[in-house]
Amino acid sequence: MPYILQDILIIILASYATIDNQGITIMNYWPVTVGLFAGLIMGDLPTAMTIAGTFQLMSLGVAGLGGASVPDYGLATIVGVYLSARTGAGLGTAVAVGLPVGLLTIQLDVLIKIANNFIAHRAQAYAHAKEFNKMRLVNWIGPLFFALKNFIPMILIVTVGPSAISALLKVIPAWLTNGLTIAGSMLPVVGIGMLMHYMPLKKYIWVLMIGFVMSAYLNVPILGVAIIGLALAIYTYQNLINASKKNAVATANGADATDTDEEGDDYDE
Amino acid sequence: MSDVQAQTPQPTEPQHKLTKKERHSAILRYMFMGVNNFNYETQQGPSVVWSFSKVLRKIYPNDDDYVASLDNHFKYFNTTTAMAGMILGATLAMEEHDGIKSKDAVQALKTSLMGPFAGVGDTIIWILLPTIMGSIAGYMALQGNPLGAIIWLFVDMLLFWARIKLFDIGYDSGVKLVTTMANQLSAFTEAASVMGITVVGTLIATVVKVYTPLQFQFGKVKLAMQTGVLDKIMPALLPALVAWMVYKLLGSKKWTPNRVIVLILVIALVGSFFGILGVQPAK
Repeated sequence: MPYILQDILIIILASYATIDNQGITIMNYWPVTVGLFAGLIMGDLPTAMTIAGTFQLMSLGVAGLGGASVPDYGLATIVGVYLSARTGAGLGTAVAVGLPVGLLTIQLDVLIKIANNFIAHRAQAYAHAKEFNKMRLVNWIGPLFFALKNFIPMILIVTVGPSAISALLKVIPAWLTNGLTIAGSMLPVVGIGMLMHYMPLKKYIWVLMIGFVMSAYLNVPILGVAIIGLALAIYTYQNLINASKKNAVATANGADATDTDEEGDDYDE
Repeated sequence: MSDVQAQTPQPTEPQHKLTKKERHSAILRYMFMGVNNFNYETQQGPSVVWSFSKVLRKIYPNDDDYVASLDNHFKYFNTTTAMAGMILGATLAMEEHDGIKSKDAVQALKTSLMGPFAGVGDTIIWILLPTIMGSIAGYMALQGNPLGAIIWLFVDMLLFWARIKLFDIGYDSGVKLVTTMANQLSAFTEAASVMGITVVGTLIATVVKVYTPLQFQFGKVKLAMQTGVLDKIMPALLPALVAWMVYKLLGSKKWTPNRVIVLILVIALVGSFFGILGVQPAK
């Protein structure tokens, strides 16, 4: 494939990936899935997958829940795969350049979500003015912004990236690339730490221990641990349902259950 | 709000204003837009309006009713997009059946269900699936093998179908099923979390790698810190300690995930420079 075509396709991939991830999710934005497409475009699938796999493990558990902004590992993967194919740089460099791009780009995310606020008000104003087509049209600006969020850094990477990286590679010392590789293998811990905060860890710390021992001491593969986790989940579910049934019987004798949907505003949030 | 009570629709003989094709185009529009016009104030509100504006127009030929319904949907809404279809399917059926007088009931249903639905949806879509699929596909990819990624694409297709199906279920069975389901959802979420925590325990031991190449010299005897000392105490001791440290850091307001990432980068670089930390040799 000619270079220019690859450049165009990789920019389209980066711009589309973010819209896909936030909406229809047929390709998704996980490093391995975008890495697969990036690898096909750049014509070196095995290398692309190694880079994608590194970012994938790094990103485990890093989820943008409740609108939180998290590093853009999908874009990081595309940048890494592109630069490694163009310059022959190794895994360490791909991570070293991809990760900062992913970290910086995500700052734009906040700006876009603020800008979208104005669009939302604009759309509502159009609705009140009964200009319904304009109301729909103005909403396209949101996805457009999100596409630009990746389009702009990707244009920069494609135009100046390869030569800058090749120059940088000549002066980069071994401890630095080593350190970045070490960072890469430590970084999954951030996602794991975030996961531990999302989940009721204090109540289920014993489950964490089971999972840890299964792999640290017994070397059970991940799918095996997942099946044990599923078994524990079924057990927990049945317990909870039985407990709530008992409660329901207890309260039914006293007062009526109150959770019909009348006056259901603002129970949560 | 006494009129809310009268809403609980029992579509005995459904007189559909919308064809199946129109309804599916609405959910497909929502699936496309998702959080692509997310804002901090009303979050997915505009996305719902954009997606359902065409079907709502068909329900409300009268401009004033249409605007009233749109205004209702412009309000704050946020849940896992994969699960939202079920709520939106149920509210669409309500509006199709009862028109604009269902407005308050629609809003009440949306606000009371988005929390529980997000609980279970986030756990499955954002935690369980990416951690399990991610570590399987991630390890395959490290060997240059794209199979895990390809399987993931198939899972995405399955989810694509499931999201339309959930919308249909919400639409067909209406408010009743969706509300009774919400009561079981908290138990379901907690059970799913248990599975998630098991996997997290594994990830600490397998995915996080902290390795020190330090060696002690006692006269003629060499003792490697990693294999001779740490691994003898407990396998994956350092990863467990680092995980605990990061968990504590993330618990404080000052340490955002991005800051922790930068901190780890610094620790790794300094550790590498002084030879305290090293790249773990392949077993």
